[in-house]
Amino acid sequence: MSRGVVAEPTREAVRGAREAIEYCYERGWTDGLPVVPPAEEFVEEFLAQVDRDPEEVVFAQEHLGRKCTVRLAAANAVMAGCRPEYFPVVLAMLEAVRDLPVSRGLFQSTTGQAVLVVLNGPIRQELGFNGSDNVFSPGDRANATVGRALRLVIMNALGIRPHAFDQSTQGTPAKYSFCIAENEEESPWEPLHVERGFGKEESTVTVAWARGTMPVEQRDSKQPEHILLNIADSMSYGGGYFPSPRGHGSIVVMGPEHAQLIAQAGWSKRQVREFLWEHFGRRAGELRRLAKDGGLDPDLSDAAFVRFASGPEAITLVVAGARNAGVSTVCPTFAWQTVTRRIPAKRS
Amino acid sequence: MADGILFEERGIPAAAVITDAFRRTADAMARTQGLEGYPYVAIPHPISSLSPEELRMRAEQALPEVVRLLQEEVKG
Repeated sequence: MSRGVVAEPTREAVRGAREAIEYCYERGWTDGLPVVPPAEEFVEEFLAQVDRDPEEVVFAQEHLGRKCTVRLAAANAVMAGCRPEYFPVVLAMLEAVRDLPVSRGLFQSTTGQAVLVVLNGPIRQELGFNGSDNVFSPGDRANATVGRALRLVIMNALGIRPHAFDQSTQGTPAKYSFCIAENEEESPWEPLHVERGFGKEESTVTVAWARGTMPVEQRDSKQPEHILLNIADSMSYGGGYFPSPRGHGSIVVMGPEHAQLIAQAGWSKRQVREFLWEHFGRRAGELRRLAKDGGLDPDLSDAAFVRFASGPEAITLVVAGARNAGVSTVCPTFAWQTVTRRIPAKRS
Repeated sequence: MADGILFEERGIPAAAVITDAFRRTADAMARTQGLEGYPYVAIPHPISSLSPEELRMRAEQALPEVVRLLQEEVKG
C-alpha cells in the first residue's frame, strides 16, 4: 500500500538502486534477499532515534572476536528494511537476545534455532506490528524487518553465517524473521509483559529461542480440556524431546478463539500454564519405545507419566492471531528461558 | 578449537578433537583465532549415537594422534 509520500523515482535512480543492491550481495552482507544499501546518511537517521553512543558495544561474541556496536546495529537495521523509528525496538531486542541464557553457543548450534520476538504495549500500534491474522506470515513491514534485523546482525556483525560458524543441521525459515505482536485487544488475559511485572502502558520486547512453528487444530470442541490437551500433545511430540540438564520447555502462541473459549469457562492464564505443564510429557513406555529414555529411572513403570519441564515457568503463553478459527501454535524450544526488556519511550 | 588455541597461546599444550562433520567450522575458527592451519584430530562422525564401548574405541583410535599433537610445536 502506497503511503503517498515518496515520489516515483527516476529510471536512473532505480538503476542506481539495483547496482547498490548487487554491491551488497557481492560484499556478502545479505541473508539471500536484497538489502537496503546502508548509506552513512541512512545510518545517521537511525542513530538520531536513540540517545546512545554509536560506538557502545551492544552485543559481543568474544570467542569469535566480534562485536555489534550501536552503529553496526543501525547499519543492519537499515539493510533489513526497517524505518528509522523502529531502531529503539531493534536495540532493545538485541539487548534482550544478549541476555538470553547460552546466547554464546546457540547461534552456532546444530539445533538451528531461531529467536522468536514478541512485542507488547502501545508500540505495537505506534509502529504497526501485526498481532492478528497471518501473525507469522509475510506482509507487515515492522514484523518482517525488525525480525530480519536480528538475523543480519548475527550474520554481519557477529560473523555467524551458514557454511562456517552457523552449524545448523537444517535450520528453519523462522531464521529469516520471526517477530510477532501479542493480540492484547482480543486476549482475555493479562498480556505477557504485565504478567512479567511491566505496566500495561509500557512497551516491551520479549525474546525466546524457538525452533519454528507447529500448528494446533481444535475447532470441534469448546471444552478447555480438549483444547489444552491438543496443545499439550503437540508440545510433547517425541521428536521434539531432547533430554537436557537445562530442562525442556515450550512456547504456546494461542489463537484468540481458543483463549476466549478457555477464559469463558473461568480459567486464568496461570491455570492454563499449570495445566499445560502437567500434561507436557510422555509415558515412560513411549519414551523407551522412542529411545528417548536417557536418564530415566529403569524401575519406573511404562505407564508412569514423565513430565518434560521442571515447572509452569518453562511454558511461555502468548495470545496472537485472528479470532476466526480454533487454531493455535506451539513453538518447540531447546532452551526455555526468555528475556523481556522495556523499549525506552520515544526520544523527545 | 577456540579453547585449544587459547591454551596454546598461554603455553599449555592442547589437542583439539572434532568429528569430521565439523571440519569447516574448525578451519574457520582457526582462521578467526589467527592460527590458520592449526592441526586437530578429526574422528569419524557421528558419535552421539555410539555405545560407551564404541566411543571408547574411537578414543583409543584417536589417542596416538592426540599424543602427537600435544608434543608438536605450534607455529603461531
